[in-house]
Amino acid sequence: MEHLLVGFQNVLTPVTLFWVTVGVTLGYVLGALPGLGKATGVAVAIPMTFYLQPVAAIALLIGIAKGSAAGSAVSAILLNTPGEPSSAPTALDGYPLARQGKAQKALKMGLFASVIGDFLSTLVLIALAAPLARYALLIGPVELCAILLFSLTFIGGLAGRSMLKGLIAAAFGVFFATIGIETETFIPRMTFGLLELDDGISLIPMAIGMLAISEMVIQAGNARKIDSEAEKIKESASPDDRRVTLAEWRRCLPVIGRGTLIGSVVGILPGLGASVGSFLSYGATQRASKAPEKFGTGMIEGVAAAESADNAVVPASFVPLFALGIPGSVVAAILISALVLHGLTPGPMMFVEQPQMVADLYAAMLCASLILLIVGYTGQRIFAQVIHVPIRLIIPAVLFLCCVGAYMDTNTLFSIYLMLGFALLGFFARKLDFSFVTFLIGFVIGPNLELTFRQSLQILDHDVMRLPAHPIAILFAVLTILTVVWINRSNNRHAAQKTALAGPTTKQSQI
Amino acid sequence: MYAPKRRMFLRAVAVALMALAGLNTAHAEGYPDRPLTMLVGYKAGGQTDLVARGVAKVLSGQLGVPVNVVNKPGGGGILAAHELQKAKPDGYTILFHSNSVINTEPFMMKRVNFKPDDFEYAGMITAYQVSLATQKDAPYETLAEFVAWAKENPGFSYGALSPTARMIMEVIAEQEGLDVNIVPLKGGGDMMNALLGKQVALVLSGGIHYKYPDELKSIVALTTFRQPSAPDVETINEAGYPLGMDSRTTLILPKNTPRAALETLSTALQAAETDADFAKVVSAANIPILYMDLDAAADEVRESYKQNQTIFENAGIEPK
Repeated sequence: MEHLLVGFQNVLTPVTLFWVTVGVTLGYVLGALPGLGKATGVAVAIPMTFYLQPVAAIALLIGIAKGSAAGSAVSAILLNTPGEPSSAPTALDGYPLARQGKAQKALKMGLFASVIGDFLSTLVLIALAAPLARYALLIGPVELCAILLFSLTFIGGLAGRSMLKGLIAAAFGVFFATIGIETETFIPRMTFGLLELDDGISLIPMAIGMLAISEMVIQAGNARKIDSEAEKIKESASPDDRRVTLAEWRRCLPVIGRGTLIGSVVGILPGLGASVGSFLSYGATQRASKAPEKFGTGMIEGVAAAESADNAVVPASFVPLFALGIPGSVVAAILISALVLHGLTPGPMMFVEQPQMVADLYAAMLCASLILLIVGYTGQRIFAQVIHVPIRLIIPAVLFLCCVGAYMDTNTLFSIYLMLGFALLGFFARKLDFSFVTFLIGFVIGPNLELTFRQSLQILDHDVMRLPAHPIAILFAVLTILTVVWINRSNNRHAAQKTALAGPTTKQSQI
Repeated sequence: MYAPKRRMFLRAVAVALMALAGLNTAHAEGYPDRPLTMLVGYKAGGQTDLVARGVAKVLSGQLGVPVNVVNKPGGGGILAAHELQKAKPDGYTILFHSNSVINTEPFMMKRVNFKPDDFEYAGMITAYQVSLATQKDAPYETLAEFVAWAKENPGFSYGALSPTARMIMEVIAEQEGLDVNIVPLKGGGDMMNALLGKQVALVLSGGIHYKYPDELKSIVALTTFRQPSAPDVETINEAGYPLGMDSRTTLILPKNTPRAALETLSTALQAAETDADFAKVVSAANIPILYMDLDAAADEVRESYKQNQTIFENAGIEPK
């Protein structure tokens, strides 16, 4: 504790605060620009971290991670082009809100949810990093496999209007994720001899093409309509449409709490990532809502759910890093580099040998949360003006940024071709109303499920009788079955209600 | 107090800008007179990337020009090596990578046919301490003890994250008649999770486990030399299995790069041996510095290529 106080003293110096602010601002702006994101920010920052003091360097990186997670909501809400895949669920309700003239409200909710999720998750990290990381080690491949299976039951809520089409899109996502060298036999799958595909299709160019470019193509087709609409909607005159009302706060706080919890858990578990966190949170919120059918039409809860989880993942993914030296995300991997460059070894020894350094990091993370609130609040007023810009001016700029972002993923033109290929796929998916969100879920969860399943087979020695040694896995397997049965029943009841529309004694709709 | 920091910041910005612009203008006699590009075949953030950035800093200080690190990930360095082959052999484009891309990958991948003579070498700087690692409290200290334990525990699990890792265990298992379940792992983080979480009895580690001296240990070194981080642990050759293979971070250049340029780089690289900042970087990651100059490096690549070829042929591994 006293280390933490000294930590605040160390962090609250002009130099360190300056770098935290630079990181948050850079992250926020890059996150807000479609096509760019934390990967871009980190790439720019790595050479700089060499020349900075350890705390400043790490503050910069943490700032970028936190800022970009929050900033990505901006483009999702204003342009329907999520800055990061993890903000795709944000766009589902954020963009409709913006088209209704409630952009300010959606942006504010997104920011508040991000900051709250971020701050609480940071507190979790500080209080429980060491014990939590130990506990997370109990989650081996067998348990993870069951948890992933369970999380797939939430995607129904994200499937859009047609469950069947949602599942088809998810299957396509899994299919594209199978491309690349297979992890057990090391035989390349469906790479057509292209070495570039050996490591699989990279998430960044794929997501940029699918989410941003295809949306821009669609908007280009509707340019005149969008512009004339923009003339009309501008901004709603009612002040209630520009801020988050008390009633909305009351509805959203439990949603944010759940999002934070889901985000924190997903962040701590190995190999899941921010996208899974926000997808799950959105799905769970819709499932728990009294009006699930309204999601996707501009429900403020949708924004709150996705953004709180998205940001809560970031600090939580540092738990395995600080406590065990295992990176939980891309930024965490870079952070290890930055720490090692300055002669620090992340892991259990860091707490013993460098307690002050750890405390400084914590203090920097808490400061970054608060700075995020200030930067975001100021920034979104500026970004919100984008809604007044004619779409024909926005599209070329977005396309340019997307190319930069895709190129920087591997520094090769191949990424841009990949991006264009998926833009085409995304275009047809949107035109034919296939959910690109379930596609992303398939793409992200599919390969993890395959890997953990194969790992489980080996660990269990191909023997079902060894399963009882993994009670957590059994628990989640049972939960999965129960959830599927429950969904099926409530769907049947819905159908029954619809047919018996004029029934005299309507039962309570559902619980 | 702030002046030096500001200068550092400006320098950092300058480096970043030049990296973006990819300066490619002046051309004169005195090598080097413009920034160097250092390709790295992994994404930013890994062990090799880290060492590369440390080396780039040393080289840049020695040569007086910026050395820009460009990550070209893909196929364990194969894409970056292809990229290097396309570059002009003028000493301005370097690949910093494990020499395994030349002395191991071709034996596992059909589509890779690199030979030692396809490239030039300007020296080697660090070695990978590849070894079989396990938990500190595991009831075996040596490979012989492990084999004895494994015979009593059929169906044990072994974590492998590369074809080489698989090959090593398959050879030992066949020779000793072990019943092993090989658990596929994806990446170093996954491996550490499996090891620290006691999911597997043994893994092949690239040396990262030495960061956990209280929790993990090596039972045998897979290099041909005893490892500086655990000098008491015998090598696999000493243990009676001729499977020792070395990999070292190497400065690789396109074929026909002038020898003068290679010599300049080799001399500049030697400064890393005694550079305090570089020592800090590698010691925090438990990576030993084992410098070799340009000729020693070229010999090492050729010899290890031949050695590894024999090992893979004996193991009956066909490139895939």
